[in-house]
Amino acid sequence: MTLDTSIHLKEISKCYQLGKNEITIFDEVTLNIPTGDFLAIMGPSGSGKSTILNLIGGIDRISSGQITVGSLRIDQMSEAKLSQWRSTHIGFVFQFYNLLPMLTAAQNIELPLLLTSLSRYERAERVKTILDIVGLSKRGKHLPSELSGGQQQRVGIARAIAMDPQVLLCDEPTGDLDRQSAEEILDILKILNTEMGKTIVMVTHDPSATAYAKRTLHLDKGQFVRKELEAAQ
Amino acid sequence: MNLLRQCVAITNANLRSLGRRQWISISLVFSVTLVTMILLGFLAMANGFNKTLTQMGSEDVAIVMGLGARSELGSSIAPPHIHLLEEAPGLVKNPQGTTVLSAETIVPVDVLGKQDHLPATVSLRGIGAHGLTLRPSIKLVSGRLFTLGANELIVGQRLSQEYEGLTLNDTIEFGRSRWKIVGIFEANGSVFESELLSDVKVVQILFNRPNQVQSLRAQLAGPNSLEQLTSYIDANPRLPVRVLSEKQYFSAQSERVSQIILWLGWPISLVMALGAIIGALTTLYSSVSDRQVEIATVRALGFSRISAFVGTWLEGLLLTLVGCFIGLCAALLLLDGWAASTVGTDNTQIAFELKLSFSMAANAVLLALLVGAIGGGLPALHATRIPLRLAMTRRS
Ligand SMILES: Nc1ncnc2c1ncn2[C@@H]1O[C@H](COP(=O)(O)OP(=O)(O)OP(=O)(O)O)[C@@H](O)[C@H]1O
Ligand SMILES: [Mg+2]
Repeated sequence: MTLDTSIHLKEISKCYQLGKNEITIFDEVTLNIPTGDFLAIMGPSGSGKSTILNLIGGIDRISSGQITVGSLRIDQMSEAKLSQWRSTHIGFVFQFYNLLPMLTAAQNIELPLLLTSLSRYERAERVKTILDIVGLSKRGKHLPSELSGGQQQRVGIARAIAMDPQVLLCDEPTGDLDRQSAEEILDILKILNTEMGKTIVMVTHDPSATAYAKRTLHLDKGQFVRKELEAAQ
Repeated sequence: MNLLRQCVAITNANLRSLGRRQWISISLVFSVTLVTMILLGFLAMANGFNKTLTQMGSEDVAIVMGLGARSELGSSIAPPHIHLLEEAPGLVKNPQGTTVLSAETIVPVDVLGKQDHLPATVSLRGIGAHGLTLRPSIKLVSGRLFTLGANELIVGQRLSQEYEGLTLNDTIEFGRSRWKIVGIFEANGSVFESELLSDVKVVQILFNRPNQVQSLRAQLAGPNSLEQLTSYIDANPRLPVRVLSEKQYFSAQSERVSQIILWLGWPISLVMALGAIIGALTTLYSSVSDRQVEIATVRALGFSRISAFVGTWLEGLLLTLVGCFIGLCAALLLLDGWAASTVGTDNTQIAFELKLSFSMAANAVLLALLVGAIGGGLPALHATRIPLRLAMTRRS
């Protein structure tokens, strides 16, 4: 039984103030992502792919519209509530891994667990389990600089799932990796989606990565275009 | 509880990343070291000066000066008043029945430094027959005492070492008078060592100051004698003088000088501290921009703004405290006990030692904390305002 964590973006707009000009990235965009989806988002640079992940994950605010995750209106939540909600419901995977370079792999994975009331022992147990899941059980004591790009990204994924969130937001998770490492990462994401039921939204530039997703959307000029429609034209 | 954990984790990660910005961090540490040492230098100077003078003063020697005079140089006591004071209660008399009292006069004279060859002013003091009895700390180290009625001098050991023409058997000219140095004395490093002593009668004559007396020094009989003497003087309106114990006199004098040192020292230290604050601001702003992706990332994970603030702030406080600690150690090793000298109230050289104390260390730590709190506070606020989307778009 999985929780309802379907994501609904209803007529959302997002504008930035740049000097005197207002730049509109999204204008009344609507997007629905059901629980357990694995959605790939493609699109040219600057089309707003990262921005949409930020909005869903509650680290950026919409200018108008509604965002619902499960039954929660996250666009109406206070910053403190949002921060708390994010720590338990959302996992972020970044293109450049964003590991803290001075902390070991295990310490990086432990970071989100520090926000809970788990004891040191319980945290260590959890870290061990997760290192196993991403296949790095022998690398816990290594610093990020002692790991390959693919291994660092696996630590990144491990940190994202440490709190067992229902939703994973991945911004070009394989963008900085070679072919083989990329496939390993995508395999892990696939397993997290199919076997653990995580909802995954993944931004990617790599067309072959979309094969791992259940569906792919193209973002262009602030609008979503369905690939099948494009192909049918 | 978990807020504390967040702060500990972020501070820990911060401090470990200090190596990435070691030079700018080290320069902050040393600017605080400098501020600490300068502040401690001034405080130790003021304190050492105070201590030296106060310690030397005796409780059972009275000093009498003209009413309204701030120091001996501006004071004068007329001969009839001296006679009245000889009969005053509370003063010790010797077996022959004369009061143990010394009428004294001070003349500032110029000497030349041995090393810098610059002129300096020292005190030539004419003392009465009981003058040395009233200064028991004075001990001859070579030569003999001056003969009454002769133009002979004895010289404090330190003066003899520092200035030309003041060694044993030298003859020195002051104005039109010629003096022979017949003895060198020491006095436990007290102010007395900074003077030349001779017979008051000779001084009055050779400097053309007939019967001029600036101060009296007398032996008090017991603990209540100072009070007795004071009420005797108060009850006698024909006596325009005031009386102090030697200890009171010295500490009042040193108070003024150490006040001047502090008035100079604190502003200089504060200006230096301001410089250190600017250094701290630069250092910590650069630390924040160095870590901004890290900060945005942990905030995206759910860490609070407070933890971002505390992490940066503690980094600032820690760097300044390390600087302060080094400054304290250096001051303890280099400054504490260092001999110095300064111009006393009577425009005469006074030797003293720098003395550190616990309260000075506390002052220095407070100043360092101030530097760290302000210099780290603004960058720490900045750290809380880093937009979280930097986590997505930037490479760390
Ligand atoms: N704070 C901001 N102020 C102004 N414009 C911004 C700001 N943040 C993002 N933008 C603009 O919004 C647009 C979308 O940015 P976003 O990072 O979402 O693009 P992207 O699709 O992720 O691009 P890329 O493929 O290069 O990562 C870009 O044109 C960017 O310049
Ligand atoms: Mg992007």
